[in-house]
Amino acid sequence: MSSPSHSYGFSATDPRPSSVLPAVFLVSAAAIADEIFLIRLLSVRFWPHFVPLILSQAMLGFGASGIAIHLLREPIGRSPGRVFPWLVLLAAPAFDLAFRASLLVPFDPYILLWDPFAWLPFALFFLLLSVPFFLVGSAVGLPLSFRIGNPGVVYGASFAGSAAGALIALPALSLLPTESLLKGATALGFAGALFVVPRARGGISVSRAAAAAASLALILLPAPDLRLSPYKDLAVAGRLPGARMLGVRAGPSGDFRALSAPGLHIAPGLSFRFDGEIPSQAALFADGEFRGVIPQGGGADPPRYLSWFPSSLPYRLAARPEVLQLSLRGTEGILEAAANGASSLTVVEPAGEAAALLGNLRSFSGDPPASLRLSIREEGARNYLARGEGRFDIVEIHGVSSSTFSSVGIHAAGEAFLLTREGIGAALSGTKPDGMLAVSGWLKSPARESVKILRTLREEMEGMGLRPVPERVLMVRGWGSFTIVAKRIPLTPAEREAADRFCAETGFEVVWPPARGRSEEPGERALAAAVQAALIGGAEKEGALFDLRPATDDSPYFYRFLRLGAIGEFRRSLGSQWVPFLEWGVLFLLISLAVSSAVAAVLLLPPVLFGGGKGGRPPVSLAGYFSALGFGYMLVELTFLKTGILLLGDPVGAASAAIGGFSFCSGAGSMLSGRIGGDEAMRRWIFPGIAILSAGGYLFLSIAAPRILPLPAGVRVALFLAAMAPAGFLMGIPFPAGLSRLSAAGSRAIPFAWGVNGFCSVAGASLAAAGALWFGLRGTLLAGSLLYLLAGALFRRLGEGQQI
Amino acid sequence: MIFRRSAGWAFPVVLLLAAVPRAGAEDPYLAARLAMVEEQIAGEGVVDSRVLTAMREVPRHRFVPAEYRHLAYIPRPLPIGEGQTISQPYIVGFMTEILRLRDTDRVLEVGTGSGYQAAIAAKIAAEVYSVEIFEVLADRSRRTLDELKFPNVVTKQGDGYYGWEEKAPFDAIIVTCAGGHVPPPLLRQLKPGGRMIMPVGGPFMTQNLVFLEKHADGSLSQKNVLPVAFVRLLGH
Repeated sequence: MSSPSHSYGFSATDPRPSSVLPAVFLVSAAAIADEIFLIRLLSVRFWPHFVPLILSQAMLGFGASGIAIHLLREPIGRSPGRVFPWLVLLAAPAFDLAFRASLLVPFDPYILLWDPFAWLPFALFFLLLSVPFFLVGSAVGLPLSFRIGNPGVVYGASFAGSAAGALIALPALSLLPTESLLKGATALGFAGALFVVPRARGGISVSRAAAAAASLALILLPAPDLRLSPYKDLAVAGRLPGARMLGVRAGPSGDFRALSAPGLHIAPGLSFRFDGEIPSQAALFADGEFRGVIPQGGGADPPRYLSWFPSSLPYRLAARPEVLQLSLRGTEGILEAAANGASSLTVVEPAGEAAALLGNLRSFSGDPPASLRLSIREEGARNYLARGEGRFDIVEIHGVSSSTFSSVGIHAAGEAFLLTREGIGAALSGTKPDGMLAVSGWLKSPARESVKILRTLREEMEGMGLRPVPERVLMVRGWGSFTIVAKRIPLTPAEREAADRFCAETGFEVVWPPARGRSEEPGERALAAAVQAALIGGAEKEGALFDLRPATDDSPYFYRFLRLGAIGEFRRSLGSQWVPFLEWGVLFLLISLAVSSAVAAVLLLPPVLFGGGKGGRPPVSLAGYFSALGFGYMLVELTFLKTGILLLGDPVGAASAAIGGFSFCSGAGSMLSGRIGGDEAMRRWIFPGIAILSAGGYLFLSIAAPRILPLPAGVRVALFLAAMAPAGFLMGIPFPAGLSRLSAAGSRAIPFAWGVNGFCSVAGASLAAAGALWFGLRGTLLAGSLLYLLAGALFRRLGEGQQI
Repeated sequence: MIFRRSAGWAFPVVLLLAAVPRAGAEDPYLAARLAMVEEQIAGEGVVDSRVLTAMREVPRHRFVPAEYRHLAYIPRPLPIGEGQTISQPYIVGFMTEILRLRDTDRVLEVGTGSGYQAAIAAKIAAEVYSVEIFEVLADRSRRTLDELKFPNVVTKQGDGYYGWEEKAPFDAIIVTCAGGHVPPPLLRQLKPGGRMIMPVGGPFMTQNLVFLEKHADGSLSQKNVLPVAFVRLLGH
């Protein structure tokens, strides 16, 4: 760790200037840990799709810190050594206090949809959460702005701290109860605060020591009650008479809880011809959302009702099948397989916490059925399928309409790699030659998931040479759910007759192949027509409300049905009923991007246009350079992160690897920027190198994915890190190199540059998510690479014509 | 003479002025409610005059928490506590109309909630039996229904999944809380010739509205009539 070139503004009573680097490292670690913990806390309190909106606004605090330093440059500049420690000391308790304060704001995302006045408490809510990010951003931005130490080393310390924070947060998700997660961030902040308590001349500052002690006291306080939204599944179930929590298991994959109540009667899609009893149940929740059912004592004698779902269809077509289920939904999936005569069952589930929790509930659920050979594998579905360990009579993908089916977590935006063309193809390839793939979900009106699954099957099966597809597919619907069965060989007459008998018994209907008589119900006719079009093909209906094109690994957003151009048509066709049909997850993402951009424009444009404070009027090229860096970094990083979700099989693990890996590598690049970031090097190979290496690394991962997927987890992580490391290293250089260029020119706009970069980094996260939704991962990565080339073109103009 | 003529003028004016605030004080939301029926109910295709009359008469705002009264007549569901909502006006009107209630009908409602749906049904049917699992909501809705004088609505707190066996069978069953399946006990308590309507589905926001008819021979026919937004209640 190098010494600062001069002790700008640090007096004898201030901390030593050498305390800056460890303090920056630790508060940066605390900030990343806070971000990861807040994602979990907010997902549990509200819904995962609201989280990006809330968090992106909160993290605008980073950008605001730069503007604040820019505007207050003169008063801060008189004694930065006095200001810096207090930024660290205030940041440490802010992680916890801001969240506790936010709990007091009467805000619920559900109400945002109905009441425009609800946006006011929402604004207060995210303003509170932005406070710690503002303080950390200020603590990092201040030494950069006032040349306390080498900018590359300071920025590198911040990056290194971010990497450490990402790596520390992962085990903390398992070690700490969800309610206590923020104690981890506070502890990191407290550690940073310890470095700024001592005085340069010796002894300690009493006031600073007292402030640090306040952080310690917060760690010792009881954790706050999370105050789940009253509309969360867990909150509603918890209020049922006699509700009882059976177990809790938290970890990187989520906060899993099992709760029983006499008032739970969960049997989604049950035939209304079933005239029996449903036993007492417990429900499994993931981050407060319903995940699956645990029938009481069902192990010894699987309940009869489990044979009365559309998803029971494939079991009627095969005798004593060997079954693969690609998610764990409580114990119901296991019992359904047993009730329907399966001889063996393999369940693949990446969330080990869920499996562990169910294992602890044997006193409630009973032991697994003795008649069933059961194996539970803790890994990603695509990884398991890629290894091709076995072939099955039935491969089940259940609950495709569930909110917890797609990836949720850090920067996840509903990626569903199992429902892409490649994923469906992999699942189909996991069947025996006469085996079947079965996909089940809710039947919405107008039909969406079912039709999209059929289109995906058709395209993938035709690509595999399995034609004609309509002879290989069967679709059955209940009153509210569907099951699609696909085989590699045509369905036999005996299988079709078995399906007819199943439907005659249960009151379900065969949608495909179509029955002879035509239904007179408009809804039924519309469904039949959509199914036929999906299987036989033809041009997508012009003006269709939904985007039903199959998802691919490059754009794994199966649940993106929204056509922006159709919003007006929703309004016209559905009148006041249009609200439920919009994908509010996507819309909140776009709102997040719009709000971030608007806030950034409000705060950034005035200094550019009119000059702000004594910092002078930053040129547009400066704003352009640091904007390009902010956006470009996030576009590249998040593209790798989303690719990691596929390869590593776990959204949170992928986030830790991507954020930690990029932060570490960029930190190293930043620290060495002073040696390798000269003008000529920047122009000739740094910026072009970033563009080439980021694109090359991503292409390697995407092209080699089929070979990487089946490898052991450690090897996959190593390959992932190796692919992103070269680009990550170089991506740490442009920012400190730009600051050095500004510093050499005597520019006073460094805080502004920090603010621009902060704002654009935050907005870049929303932009990356939105870009991936519409342009795919490849397009998003390309945009990021191009932005670095743009930054390269602007680099030479930094420092020109700067006010001093 | 002039004075007497002036006094004669004053009286109807004063009476009018006295009458206006009193009418406003009795039902300050009358105009909003009439507009709601005109635009959101009749305007969206509900034609049953008994339903329209009921919705004009029943003060919806009395069933809504005080802090949301100003929103009582907008086309949105509103929170009523315990994670539950009062359905938007159109859905209440639609569900009531599709049940084809008669003035001799015995109706079972599962999920009393605010009590508004029960009140609307009670304006048309002979008797309404309503079950609510959350005690807070059961108590509150009972108070509101008593204050507004609905003697033909009988409520109880309990698990509506099992219906109300002692009062069965029913001519119509209306389920206001979304569930993942049609509870078998409710089907057993539905009379031959009876009708049932219920929102079902898995996702949080979008449900199907399922309409069932029990024929004379006990068989059931079912159709999805409308996708709606309902808060899902796991207990049903």
